[in-house]
Amino acid sequence: MKFLFSLLMTSLLINGCSSLKKEKTLADSINLDVEELKLDNGMTALIVNNPKLPIFSLYLFYKVGGKNEVPGITGASHFLEHMMFKGAKKFGKNTLDFIIEGSGGSTNAYTTNDQTVYYENLPSKELNLILDIEADRLENLSLDEDDFNKERAVVLEERKMRYENSPRGQLYQEMMANFFEGTPYGRSVIGNIPDLKSVTREQMHAYFKKFYAPNNMTLVLVGDVNTSEAKRLIKEKFGKIPASPTVAQEHASLTDDQFKVTFKESKVVKKKGESPSPIFMMAYPTYKVGHPKGYALDVLSSILGSGKSSSLINEYILVNRPAATSMYAAHQQLEKAGLFFIGGELVRGIKVDDFRKDLQKKLLGYCETEITEKNIQKVKNNYLVDLYSGLDTNAALAQFLGDRQLLFGDWRSYKKELEQYEKVSVADVKAMCLETFNKDSVFVSVWNQHK
Amino acid sequence: MKYILSALFIMNTALASDSFLDSVNRMKWKDMDVVWIEDDKFPKFTASIYFQDGAMSDSISGVTQTTFDQLAAGTTKENQRELSEFFDFYGASLRHSVTHEYSVFSVQALAKDIAPVMGKVCEIFKDAQFPANELNSHISRAKSGLKNLVTSHASLADRVFRQVSLSGTPYAIPTEGTLESFDKMNPELLKERLKRLNKTRKVLYLAGPSDVKDIRKVIEKNCDWTNEIKMVPVELTKPEPQSSIYLVEVPGANQAQIRVGRYLTNNEFQNKHEIFQFMSRFLGGGFTSKLVQELRVKRGLTYSAGAYASMQRDYGRAGIMTFSKNETAAEAISIIRNVLGQVSVGQFEDKEFAHQKSHQIGGYAFAFEETNALLGQIMLYDHQKRPLSQLVNFPQVIEKISKSELASANMEVFSWDRQTIVVVGDKSLVKSLSRIRPVRVIKYQDYL
Repeated sequence: MKFLFSLLMTSLLINGCSSLKKEKTLADSINLDVEELKLDNGMTALIVNNPKLPIFSLYLFYKVGGKNEVPGITGASHFLEHMMFKGAKKFGKNTLDFIIEGSGGSTNAYTTNDQTVYYENLPSKELNLILDIEADRLENLSLDEDDFNKERAVVLEERKMRYENSPRGQLYQEMMANFFEGTPYGRSVIGNIPDLKSVTREQMHAYFKKFYAPNNMTLVLVGDVNTSEAKRLIKEKFGKIPASPTVAQEHASLTDDQFKVTFKESKVVKKKGESPSPIFMMAYPTYKVGHPKGYALDVLSSILGSGKSSSLINEYILVNRPAATSMYAAHQQLEKAGLFFIGGELVRGIKVDDFRKDLQKKLLGYCETEITEKNIQKVKNNYLVDLYSGLDTNAALAQFLGDRQLLFGDWRSYKKELEQYEKVSVADVKAMCLETFNKDSVFVSVWNQHK
Repeated sequence: MKYILSALFIMNTALASDSFLDSVNRMKWKDMDVVWIEDDKFPKFTASIYFQDGAMSDSISGVTQTTFDQLAAGTTKENQRELSEFFDFYGASLRHSVTHEYSVFSVQALAKDIAPVMGKVCEIFKDAQFPANELNSHISRAKSGLKNLVTSHASLADRVFRQVSLSGTPYAIPTEGTLESFDKMNPELLKERLKRLNKTRKVLYLAGPSDVKDIRKVIEKNCDWTNEIKMVPVELTKPEPQSSIYLVEVPGANQAQIRVGRYLTNNEFQNKHEIFQFMSRFLGGGFTSKLVQELRVKRGLTYSAGAYASMQRDYGRAGIMTFSKNETAAEAISIIRNVLGQVSVGQFEDKEFAHQKSHQIGGYAFAFEETNALLGQIMLYDHQKRPLSQLVNFPQVIEKISKSELASANMEVFSWDRQTIVVVGDKSLVKSLSRIRPVRVIKYQDYL
């Protein structure tokens, strides 16, 4: 949920926040004024009017990602994301970028284990145009054969950049593959090379048809827009697109049990890579997004690894003989499972196995020494600053709302989240600390000295 | 009709921009210049202190950067842990950046906490001791980080490219320091550097609700900042023609990072900020730019390509960055050369040119969206001694650019023979790259 919280830091339409002296709780620190629209075909749209500048951001969240792929077509969600920019029936081949950028806008997309998100930032006068474009590619994507093969090469280059030539990318891939071995989260989101080379246009089209439907998406619009006009346009463009009769069944077929980690004892993985100093990640199983225990785990990760006064930084970095050059802790909650990460880069000469044993011992010790009222208050103070700092643009607010709508089924869930953070106590964090660090873990390191 | 619409749009944004100029309040607190933008969207503040002094004054490479890095490492009253506890408790984020010409120290926290947080900032500027144990630990980490730079081929390419393309100028020295320079650092050196920074001309850029101006008393009383030292301009000569490709060897890499570019002198940049910005975005800004279309969309040679032409005050840099698999790295460089050659002689279509204009004019309002980014933009204009009216009038200037002006700007900046080319990748690239220019294989370790 930390992952969610960092995304939470978005933009305004927030009431009554300018008092300098009044102390605010997390929960009453922001109040969002959101118009919600539900279409008959199951599509959800959220609209926020912000007239500050004549611009807006549009985000479309599709509930499809790496976890929905099957062996043989790994990387399909991400490859499809690329192909969504290659044209559809009304706007033609390779025109989409020209239309958007020619209006002064920008566009991009990203794919995760659970979702694929497309976004545009545009001048306000282009609202009709962009809704037309988005509806067109949802309904009539071209998937041109020639473009398909050229884009395959681009995806392979992206893979080289992010993973094959990046030890940190290798580390993350290796961690996810080992931690979630045998589950859909264990597959590479960018895809395995043989799958990327062999996937066909027909397979991609079938995948597109299965998941790209109005009842599998959320549209979020934030900026200088007339709300009623925006609602009318959304109904006009998207209302006629039929719902998918099977997508709910597709999601139902992925049960939580399929995502349970299967390792029976702690695993240590050593991977040879180009890193001259060892880089590592250690992960413990936690809970899926929305689980009540997640909030205390988020606080725990901040106590251990956020800021110069955090436990891991003071233990391993800001000392006379540092063992590490960087350390971090993070709690990542996916739709079906969660994991608590500790990671960093070791100083040369530090033995990886010795460090791992020391770290595991220290983590349990922190459950007694580091979980204090003062540290928890410090984390809450930081959340508030981060919340405000991150809520500065239309795009950020759109992302914040969309994440909540997609993962929790309700954009209003941020209020509950903030209330939950407010309630987190020393006892809660201690309990989660002990529970987590007494579990088996996966430790992965990448180093050029590994065999 | 399209022209009329675009002209109307310019008028609308210009009106909005007038109110922007009104919102930039300039004040004088004792002898310190202060710029305040009212931002009451949230009860938080940002205070960015601009020092008119950067890495150019480094007696050894990286000393300014390290001084800022270690500013909160200990005073005569508090150690590093206590200072970290203080700032972290308030959720205050302290950031700094050092360029060759200037440095910036930024603080962000809740507005209600501005007095204690800025009071502590003043304390560390006044009393930082740079304890030897903390400094040694920092140096050990910094050196380890440098040795590990090879884990990011793109960062390595950027570092080597700066040193090679700016060779012979004072700007070649990395602001972050080198393995050699770290060995020469000591607390006294950093104290001397801080003393000079405290006396350097500075400007406070402040964003937040109006109450944040109350901080004046704290700064005037506690900071001991003066404005005695001012920056001396540097004159550069235009770079000489280049005859080699520098191949930075990274064994086993299956992808090559490519950097092409050169430095720019102040004379070359005079009154050309807008046309150079337009040109660099035409070449490599966005999916529809020339290089992305030619390298990625038409040929699938890369995932991304970008171009820039930007200036500090006395020097600037223009460059192109991309990457491609080993088999096609030379082809990618040839395509870059062709694109630059074509643009220089005006071989591009009217619609491409018009498209780029509407892209930059239409997207202009986004420059005003994020307060901190806007604060940074104002700071840069002030540093360059450019009036903010140039920021406001950007769309009108872009509208007037002609095709021939674009071509001649491109010819001036990107004439092929003056470009330095750096490739980071496997040694096997020598053969294919030799067809473009003679290849000099260099070791990345020599640039750390």
